Amino acid sequence: MLINAVVLLGTACGGANGGAKDVKPVSTGSAIKVALLTPGPITDQSWNGGAYTGLLRIKDSLGASVSHIQTKTPAEFEENFRQYGAQGYTIVIGHGFEFQDAAKRVGPEFPKTVYITTGGNSVGPNIAALSFAFEEPSYLAGMVAAAVSKTGTVGCIGGTELPPVKSSFAAFAAGALAVNPKIKVVTAFIGNWDDASAGKEQALAQIGRGADVIFQNADAAGLGVFQAAKEGKGVWVVGSNADQNNIAPAVTLGSVLIDVPHAFMVMAREVQGGKFQPRVVRLDTKSDVVRWVPNPATPNAIPAAMRARVDSVQRLMQSGVFVMPPAAAAATPSTGAAK
Amino acid sequence: MTTRAATTSTLFSWKRLLPPLLVSAVVVGVIVVVIVAGHHDIIESFSAFGRGSFGSAYAFWSATLVRATPLTLLGLAVALAFRSGVMNIGAEGQFLAGASAATAVVLTGVGGGMVLVIALPAAVLAGALWAAIAGWLKREFGVLEVISSLMLNFVAQYLVSYLVRGPLQEPTHVYPQTETFGPAAQLPLLISGQRLHLGYAIAVLLALILWWMFRATAVGFRLRAVGAGAAAAASAGQVMVPRVLFTAFLLSGAIAGLAGGVEVTGVTYALYEGISPGFGYTAIAVALLARLNPLAIIGTGIFFGALEAGAAAMQRDAGVPFQFVAVVEALVVLGVIALDWTRERGATRR
Repeated sequence: MLINAVVLLGTACGGANGGAKDVKPVSTGSAIKVALLTPGPITDQSWNGGAYTGLLRIKDSLGASVSHIQTKTPAEFEENFRQYGAQGYTIVIGHGFEFQDAAKRVGPEFPKTVYITTGGNSVGPNIAALSFAFEEPSYLAGMVAAAVSKTGTVGCIGGTELPPVKSSFAAFAAGALAVNPKIKVVTAFIGNWDDASAGKEQALAQIGRGADVIFQNADAAGLGVFQAAKEGKGVWVVGSNADQNNIAPAVTLGSVLIDVPHAFMVMAREVQGGKFQPRVVRLDTKSDVVRWVPNPATPNAIPAAMRARVDSVQRLMQSGVFVMPPAAAAATPSTGAAK
Repeated sequence: MTTRAATTSTLFSWKRLLPPLLVSAVVVGVIVVVIVAGHHDIIESFSAFGRGSFGSAYAFWSATLVRATPLTLLGLAVALAFRSGVMNIGAEGQFLAGASAATAVVLTGVGGGMVLVIALPAAVLAGALWAAIAGWLKREFGVLEVISSLMLNFVAQYLVSYLVRGPLQEPTHVYPQTETFGPAAQLPLLISGQRLHLGYAIAVLLALILWWMFRATAVGFRLRAVGAGAAAAASAGQVMVPRVLFTAFLLSGAIAGLAGGVEVTGVTYALYEGISPGFGYTAIAVALLARLNPLAIIGTGIFFGALEAGAAAMQRDAGVPFQFVAVVEALVVLGVIALDWTRERGATRR
């Protein structure tokens, strides 16, 4: 009953800090316990690895005790959300939009725990969602790719067809088209996020079709794309999610980065300080959580003129006046979801 | 024949007890080595395992038994097929077919408050139909069912991926999943405050029925006879072997389909891509460990459920990676095979 009342109140106030202090997540002020659920292995140097780095930063900076679990199925998401709630964790982070149903279902049972999903749009008294404007740096990467490509064909390789990945690829294509209206963009999905050899096969297939810049967003499976580029000639890779410039420095143009540790710290501080507000937290270029990071090891790969052009567009994004072309904007989920 | 030789020896002879003890010791030993090699605290790891599997009422009813439900049902599906001499490796695909069919029925909104009465039979039917493809290929063209049923698992997996992005996708068309089912389409919970649902009761009941079927019915006898020796069953027992094999395939698929229907209506309340972590494959281990005995599958289902629930707690509280449970499951299967081998050697020596 009380929870229902709070939900109503929260809706009524548009998620503002309404007078529901009694069931609001209590800040301990000192030691907090933070748990992270990832959908894949933290060794992927990408989506999951970045989240784990974020968890460790919360541990080091805030003195939190932390726990991590890799989960596969929706049933496991829910079970572990409950277990962490029952163990009195302060913050439980489900790293992906796929955790939002579990948050919706379990959140009301453990009002003292804050459930955060990275992606999705579920919001409740103790539930918030992080939404990354991953399209913005993807657009910049597309511009760079079009400028670097000699064949006039660039590729996108994703793990599975998820909303944030699709919208990111659409933005990449829009960026490429803005630079070279004749550019051809080929897209493929591996079908999973962990099969590196399948990732390599997809990359070799795209290289065979003439692609010489490949934007990969496939976590552990994406490591195979770097491998294919290393074996190919004059093929470049654009990394994603984490800074992937070190995986294969000689063939990497740069990374479309989500600074997940930064995002996690913002949320953890907010909860620790007792200032948690249920909402979809939009994290973009302006908040410096997403950005295009050129690879410092290959400074001459990108023409200087293009570097300057990318910088100027990035400045537009930083000031919040950049408007995504309609084609890319249409592919972006209206809910503002980003993985 | 080998089992008879073993059971006639005295119950508590060393000869009988030594092999299982040795195998268990080796399995536990390897587990300890794996944990220590990963620099994890062994005591913390094992106590976390205990807490997560049997340590509390919540752990047992809501984690262990909820996980045991699909494993038990699928273990029964596999055991029925294997005992009849049908190598159905396709329980995974039949599970997904059942889950999809139940979901489709629920989403059409038929049946109102009685929707489960239509959705679960639909799951049974879909599982049987999916199995029938491999069964038919075997009967008509002699296609090895190990290959065809295994391959159909991948077809089913991609079919689910298509459904949750196409006809069954949630109304906003953003996320690859279906809408959440209403309360009428959710299986009732068995104990208040716990997650355990009616599906587990169905699994136990089905285990009893299968046990009785194999023991006391003509159908069960025919299935067993074909499994023990198809040629002998055909010549001495005048059994229509192809027909019996096909029946076994259908029944096995029906049970696996039911497991899928039970999972979506009892646990997830929606269809997702990654709904099964490979239940259909783990179920083969569940069935083998129980030596294909339906009653024993109740026990091995709980065992594997506890193993996975305990492993999750080990990961949460002691940081032991989840791949650990896959290692343990493989070790258990290897242990069972080793035991069979020692028994057969013992029997032939006598």
